Amino acid sequence: MSAPGKTEPIELIARARTGDTQAWGDLYREFAPAIFRFCRRAMPTREDAEDATMEIFMKLRDKLLQYDTSRSFTAWLYKVAANHCWDMLRRRKARHDKDMDDIEDVALECPEPNQLEKLIEERTGEEVRKALDKLGMRARMALVMRYYSDMSYDEIADALGVRRQFVGVVLLRARHELRQALGEGSAIAVGGAR
Amino acid sequence: MSEPEMNRDNRPDDPCVDEMTLLLYVERQLDREAAQGVSLHTQTCTRCLTLLRALDRESRLLTRSMLEQDEPLPARLAEFHEQVKRNMQWIWGVVFGLAVLGVYALYTGYIEPWQRQFEQAGFGGSNLLSLMVFEGAFWKGWESMFSLFEVLAIMVIAASGLFAFRRYWRRGSALAVVVASLGLLLAVATPSSATEFRKSDTVTIKKDEVIKGDLFVTGNHVRIEGEVDGDVYAFAEQLEVSGRINGDLIGFIQSERISGVVDGNVRSLANNVTITGTVERNVAVWNQSFDLDPNGKINRSLIAGGQTVSLDGKVARDLLGFFENGTISGFVGGSVRARGKSLAIVSGAEIDGKTAFEGPKEPTVSADAKLASPVQFTKMEHKLHERGSGYYIWRVIWTGTFILFGLVLAGLMPKFATETVESAGQVGASFGLGVLVFFGVLIAAIIACITIVGLLVGLSSLMLWLVMFMAAEVVVGGIVGQWIMGRNDEFWPFFLRVVVGVAAVRVITSLPFIGGWAAFAVTVWGMGAISLALYRRLQPTLAPNIPPVPMSPINSPLPPNTTVGGL
Repeated sequence: MSAPGKTEPIELIARARTGDTQAWGDLYREFAPAIFRFCRRAMPTREDAEDATMEIFMKLRDKLLQYDTSRSFTAWLYKVAANHCWDMLRRRKARHDKDMDDIEDVALECPEPNQLEKLIEERTGEEVRKALDKLGMRARMALVMRYYSDMSYDEIADALGVRRQFVGVVLLRARHELRQALGEGSAIAVGGAR
Repeated sequence: MSEPEMNRDNRPDDPCVDEMTLLLYVERQLDREAAQGVSLHTQTCTRCLTLLRALDRESRLLTRSMLEQDEPLPARLAEFHEQVKRNMQWIWGVVFGLAVLGVYALYTGYIEPWQRQFEQAGFGGSNLLSLMVFEGAFWKGWESMFSLFEVLAIMVIAASGLFAFRRYWRRGSALAVVVASLGLLLAVATPSSATEFRKSDTVTIKKDEVIKGDLFVTGNHVRIEGEVDGDVYAFAEQLEVSGRINGDLIGFIQSERISGVVDGNVRSLANNVTITGTVERNVAVWNQSFDLDPNGKINRSLIAGGQTVSLDGKVARDLLGFFENGTISGFVGGSVRARGKSLAIVSGAEIDGKTAFEGPKEPTVSADAKLASPVQFTKMEHKLHERGSGYYIWRVIWTGTFILFGLVLAGLMPKFATETVESAGQVGASFGLGVLVFFGVLIAAIIACITIVGLLVGLSSLMLWLVMFMAAEVVVGGIVGQWIMGRNDEFWPFFLRVVVGVAAVRVITSLPFIGGWAAFAVTVWGMGAISLALYRRLQPTLAPNIPPVPMSPINSPLPPNTTVGGL
């Protein structure tokens, strides 16, 4: 999951691991905007996102020695961030908000392809972000992990505490919720939960 | 390949692929065999191909939306400093603690002893306002009271400074400079050259003395025998004006006597006020006893509130009075509107306008009194513990007013309205800050009005405080509405939540016994939320040259005839 065309700051990471505060500062400045944006998408409020970002980097600094340098730093970073955000949400008991308790029983109506295409075509990034805010915590978290930080199904399953084979269901359901939120107030309606 | 050949949705030997499978295909989560099956099917099925493409485009839309840099990194996150979070927790605790301590000290140190003292002295029946402001014994605690106000004001200013410079907290030197600067500012601030300060046990402006500019005077005994060519602000036990004030007289006095001339207005909070001289403009006094001597003249209107109001002299225009006992034996050039326990219009009185009185019993009117029209009397009924239908009708009307106010605010500042309601969701922080703002800003603004900081700052702060006070219920209504109906930041859904929330809040604040306390809590909470949102608005943000996101973009497009190895 490392960024293509962009080499990870291996030297910086190595120096930060030795306790070089300057290197840690540089590392923070490089990754803080992305992590803040991740948190902003995942958490309900800006203040929550700010707090989460700070806490994630505190945690990261403590855990930096545990980082396996043979793996992608970015992937590890997002994993820590996702786990932290999900823990925060779970602690607030917001996890059940709009979420199903038993995702195995989910049944979703297949959308009309042309209508779905039309809906996607007509929506802007801002509208999607606003619609994301209306989703349940689990749905939003899943979408952010997958489409913002490009986490694998295994990592998402691990973070959300669901079996791997249900990650697809979680994502599909999240998309349906999103379409419903995007379609609110417009004539376009696509398949939703049955 | 022609269209009819491609559209084979209903072919019994090759049924359409479900959305889940197509999604897994787009996500490259299918094993090779299943992916090949999907690939082959979509070569001949238009419907599934369209859906597949739509799902892929949906993935891209999601990624693009999330990656867009719509918000810059907040300034507080510009640098890593691990103490920030802890400091945040700490400061809310301190702010709340200080505010509570201040209120507690105010109550136990001043209000409670006064109450006891007044009760012992037989003043137990007086209302709280009268106890606190108008009674003579108030002056005994005035000096130390003023010190407490000053301390609270400094605390508020210091706290504001700390918040403003929160970003630099980790730098001890910066913090020290901020605090020291504030202290220095308060210590060395000098008045403008046009203002003269006099402070002594006895202050006398002698007969031949002329003060050019405003006079700010404090002392036990203040006499103005000469001339002040400006406004006079007086804090004294006794004030006597036998000379001339060319501007306004603003006083916080135990005993005030004006036998000279005031060219401007007189505004006083005092125990006793006697006017035997002339006030060229208006008089507004709140006191225990007000007396306009037969020789006294007010050339414009009079607003008098207090226990006893005696009007033997001349008021050129209207009289508005709120008193227990009022007596009119002089001249009123305009109308009289009064509300109180009793009113006597005695012999020699002359009222050229309408006379209206609201009280428990009709006013006594002497046959020798000259009235332009008969007295309009409205009987005042005590409904202390009863809440008739009128009360609830007015509550509904006020609820509508609040909702309209909310609509105006949300319409004028939609983003700020959303942010404020979001801040109200942080109940602890909002409430803590609200306690500070509710008491602290009010006190600081009043002190600013009457001390060196200046009227402009003080009045601006008071106005802001008032707007926040009025808007507090709307803000809390907004968050309550969101709790009830779920969050939605679109304008009309947001407003609908405000309506529902305000209605719910009004119901709670209308309940007997707890309603008053609930209203107070709502006000504090709402004011805190507004302050928090304001603070965040004023917080500097970084320039938009944020480093790009260190992650890969969404996977490149998948041709429908491609199969990818799954797990």
